[in-house]
Amino acid sequence: MREIIVSELTGAIQELARDFARFLPRLIVLVIIALAGLLIAWLLKYIVRSVLRLIKFDKLSENAGASQLLAKAALPSSTELVSRLVFWLAWLGFILLGVSALGILGMDEQVARFFYFLPRLFVALFIVFFGLLAASFFSRAALLAAVNANYPSARLLSASIRVVIMVFVFSMATEELGIAEQTVLLAFGIAFGAIMLGLAIAFGIGGQELARRFLEKRFAHENRGEENEDELSTL
Amino acid sequence: MEEQPLWYKDAIIYQVHVRSFYDANGDGIGDFQGLEQKLEYLQELGITAIWLMPFFPSPLRDDGYDIADYRSVNPSYGNLDDFKKFLKSAHDREIRVIIEMVLNHTSDQHPWFQQSRSSRDNPYREWYVWNETDARYKETRIIFIDTELSNWAWDPVSKAYYWHRFFSHQPDLNFDNPAVREEMWDVMKFWLEMGVDGFRLDAIPYLIERDGTNCENLPETHDVIKDLRRRLDTVFPGRMLLAEANQWPADLRPYFADGDEFHMAFHFPLMPRMFMGLKLEDRKPITEILQQTPEIPANCQWCLFLRNHDELTLEMVTDIERDYMYDMYAGDKAMRLNLGIRRRLSPLLENDRRRIELMNGMLMSLPGTPIIYYGDEIGMGDNIKLGDRNGVRTPMQWSGGWNGGFSTADPETLYAPLILNPVYGYPATNAMSQRRTPHSLLSWMRRIITVRRSTKVFSNGSIEFLYPANHRILAYVRRFEKETVLIVNNLSSAAQAVELDLKRFKGNILVEMFGKNIFPRIGDLPYLLTLGPYQFYWFRLRRI
Amino acid sequence: MPEEIAVADRSTTVRAEIKLTEESFLSDDCVRQLMGVGEIDILIGLPTHNNAKTIASSVAAIQDGILRWFPRERAAILNVDGGSRDGTPDLILNAAIDDIRGRKFRNALRTLPSVSTKYGNSAERGTAFRTILAAADLLSAKACVVLSPESNITPEWLPALLSPIYRENFDLVLPSYIRQKFDGLLVSNLLYPLARALYGLRIHEPYATDFSFSGRLGSQFLTQNTWNSDIDRAAFEVRFSTAAITGAYKICQSSLGVKPHVERKSADLVPVLRQTIGELFCVMDPTFAWWSGKNGSEPIPVSGVAPQVELEPVRINRKRLGKMFQTGVAELQSVFQAILSPNTMAELQHIAQTNEDDPFYPSELWVKTVYEFAAAYHKSVINRDHIVQALAPLFRGRVQTFLLENKNSSSAEMENNVENLCLEFERLKPYLLEMWK
Repeated sequence: MREIIVSELTGAIQELARDFARFLPRLIVLVIIALAGLLIAWLLKYIVRSVLRLIKFDKLSENAGASQLLAKAALPSSTELVSRLVFWLAWLGFILLGVSALGILGMDEQVARFFYFLPRLFVALFIVFFGLLAASFFSRAALLAAVNANYPSARLLSASIRVVIMVFVFSMATEELGIAEQTVLLAFGIAFGAIMLGLAIAFGIGGQELARRFLEKRFAHENRGEENEDELSTL
Repeated sequence: MEEQPLWYKDAIIYQVHVRSFYDANGDGIGDFQGLEQKLEYLQELGITAIWLMPFFPSPLRDDGYDIADYRSVNPSYGNLDDFKKFLKSAHDREIRVIIEMVLNHTSDQHPWFQQSRSSRDNPYREWYVWNETDARYKETRIIFIDTELSNWAWDPVSKAYYWHRFFSHQPDLNFDNPAVREEMWDVMKFWLEMGVDGFRLDAIPYLIERDGTNCENLPETHDVIKDLRRRLDTVFPGRMLLAEANQWPADLRPYFADGDEFHMAFHFPLMPRMFMGLKLEDRKPITEILQQTPEIPANCQWCLFLRNHDELTLEMVTDIERDYMYDMYAGDKAMRLNLGIRRRLSPLLENDRRRIELMNGMLMSLPGTPIIYYGDEIGMGDNIKLGDRNGVRTPMQWSGGWNGGFSTADPETLYAPLILNPVYGYPATNAMSQRRTPHSLLSWMRRIITVRRSTKVFSNGSIEFLYPANHRILAYVRRFEKETVLIVNNLSSAAQAVELDLKRFKGNILVEMFGKNIFPRIGDLPYLLTLGPYQFYWFRLRRI
Repeated sequence: MPEEIAVADRSTTVRAEIKLTEESFLSDDCVRQLMGVGEIDILIGLPTHNNAKTIASSVAAIQDGILRWFPRERAAILNVDGGSRDGTPDLILNAAIDDIRGRKFRNALRTLPSVSTKYGNSAERGTAFRTILAAADLLSAKACVVLSPESNITPEWLPALLSPIYRENFDLVLPSYIRQKFDGLLVSNLLYPLARALYGLRIHEPYATDFSFSGRLGSQFLTQNTWNSDIDRAAFEVRFSTAAITGAYKICQSSLGVKPHVERKSADLVPVLRQTIGELFCVMDPTFAWWSGKNGSEPIPVSGVAPQVELEPVRINRKRLGKMFQTGVAELQSVFQAILSPNTMAELQHIAQTNEDDPFYPSELWVKTVYEFAAAYHKSVINRDHIVQALAPLFRGRVQTFLLENKNSSSAEMENNVENLCLEFERLKPYLLEMWK
């Protein structure tokens, strides 16, 4: 019995070793690809960082308000973040390539899906970034205009504009990524429609007087009332 | 001479003083024999009439305008026979002769005045205007403001005041006296019978005086003239009366009446404005005065001139304009006299050939009969150091030789010194040199007179000003019967571009009148012309 | 085939020609009118927009001024019109002194032509000024005066503005007005002190609508400046006086009498700020080398004597200003944080929150505020136009304090206070330089 166990064991070990020997070159290839990927990814990160520094990306993201968000989340600066993202994505890509070289069944498909996903990820990030920029710009513009025109609750107006734009942007981003497309679309549609309907009712019924006065002001050049009497004389 | 009742409209008149032109007998003073000898020169120049300054016997205290005998010739210039010979030669060369007739006043040396002042009962007493005091006619202005303080002069012989609008030695005749009128007509008849073609009636606005007026342009004065004209037309049709009246155009108009007073009158206010427009480089002074000039009867004509024997008068301009003219043209105060400037044409224009040509171009193309002052056709200079207005009455410069070719006498005996400076002196500026040079001023004057005489448009045509946006351009259209001529003058010292609105003349080709080259045809667009400094164009409009 | 090649050649030639010839901002009609005017000595620029009610008397005053003091000079009036619909340009053209219209001007020696051209949008005053500069350059004008038809133009303005240039070789003559008390507060509290501290010259009206300049200065400004950005087309006044200062041109001020008070609406403040302080901030960048080295300030020559007149003060609603200041500070906190230093921010909030009725905005704080805004503009911390807009409520607060301080002061005392403010600006200039880096 001992001889059977030993020979079986030997046989199994030998098979394992044979399998391992067959597998080892592919593993080595994986390691090589991974190492090469590390180098390339690191190079890419360096290039991207230089480019971003050149175009003053940090400044841009500050304007967008992204820097503030990152700072609050104790994350590094935008340039650094993007360069690191590029680094990790690149290295991951190479590792996956190496993994596909291992020849494990079913991995190919997953790897391919990853690579299809990548550009859409970048587009989504792009949309979000510029969306943040636009939101910040328009909300600030609205804030200043409202304050200088002496409208009440200027901050509320500014914040709502920011929110509306952000919601719009995120919907676009998720649609781009293909995450819960239908849900998001529907939710957005409902929310937006509700807001618009609400505003229409409020303005139309509740704000009749206001609407009339607004139109009169616009088209009849009438006296603007107490608001503009005894205004400060600049020049 | 052929019968031509309106000859004066087409005339080119040459104003000359017989004393200044040519001395034939070597006494240093020009004479009629000399003038006769130079008729060929004048005929060559192209002029068609001579206006002679007064040649009557005179003490010459006002260059002959103080007449001591109306029916004779100053012996220095010859005698009546010389005059008649000269007159015949002129007529033979188709040149008419206009003489001066000073009706308003005589010299105090005239026998009439000698008689008049001798006693209050003398038959000639009422031939002049006497008064016990000088308090009458106080509103009357003084004309020779630089020399006279009053229009009345005290006569110690007669122990009374006599009226004189000019120098005190030129007492005014009393035209309220019918005897005076008859006598003056008789004087005129004397010369008319001899064959003289016309009279320049000097100082005509001042004939009659009335209390409470300024004694100028009075209706009674017009009556005197109408009477003279009537007699003239009856006995001597085709002879001409030219009025010397330094007045505004509106005040000049009555002297034409309905074509039954004067045939011609000098357009005094235009002349200083031509000089002003040239200095300002702006046509406004010229167009404005012509806009104010009234229409005159068809048989009447304005007389245009650039300079004459008198000062360039600045009476008919505003104070601000007078100051400007003085500053621009008479910086040296010695040049100023009696509200005017006593300089010749060429020195006024700084001997600038282009400006001289431009001014003559305007003279020949504006409506009226042009008068050329002797010597201006060769660009003679002046001598302001000679007193009164004698600086512009120096001897004619014929050649670069002895006495400038004027006289064989000793230079010291000349009636006036010759111009000697290197620019205007006779060696540089004289008729002989210019006759030999095809592009001298004299040759150019001959050419422009030829072009002027080639058509009746200039002498008889209407005038219509174009008002291009460029105010440095003076442009007008003259039309007569079927002919139309466009004249464009650049009053600026710089090159100019101008767009003329010639839509009414669309389809016409412009033919430049001196060189006969054609210019583009007039279309719908504004007609663009460019002109060099002080350049002018005369275009005949032709439709083919 | 030969025809095809020939056609191709022609088309490439045509394309090349279009590149060489760019759009000129002077219309053909304008150039034609200028050709008619020719070389002149004095050009009078008159920008208009629907001024038919007052333009006739303005033109008459201008002509009277020229005829009395410059009778022999060649002059012309250039009207740049921003699309008037009430016939303003025709009124100006018909008032020309010339022989075309058959009217008599007994005391006019020469033609005084009028030219009119449209410059497009009425708000583009920069373009209007550029047209005037181009005309002055083309016509070789020795002196050019720009007048606003809303001013009370009198004939005496012409010699006041032109004589220093025409007869004394100055390059820029700015006006000096007698104002009603509390009129022109933007100028006295912000523009004048800031410009003075920066450029070292005591120009009381750096933003002038009635001024004159020499042909030299005009031609230089025309060639060296770009006219492409929106702000360049909208306004030019501050840029122009700055260019004269930094170009070391001779500048003086001339007394023009009383300036009529112009009614303003509260909504006008931001556009005015854009054209004045916005421009000033904008020119600070390219002229840094000039003003960074300047210390203190010098007076500039004044010609003409200002009449001693006490005028009625302008009525201003001080309470509303205070309220808008407080609201502004509260609501715009996020914006101010990007612009102001923490200290200044803290002080402002402190002021806004205490003193319910009359917040007190000390001058030193105001100076620091302005300087920090200038530095923020220079660094473009946020959109530059937003920076200018954000200044509005703070300016209102400052004015409110100024009104309070000078409620019972005479004109002389008020002038003294303005002078002190200017000195404060000058004293704190190193602070600006520090913030600038």
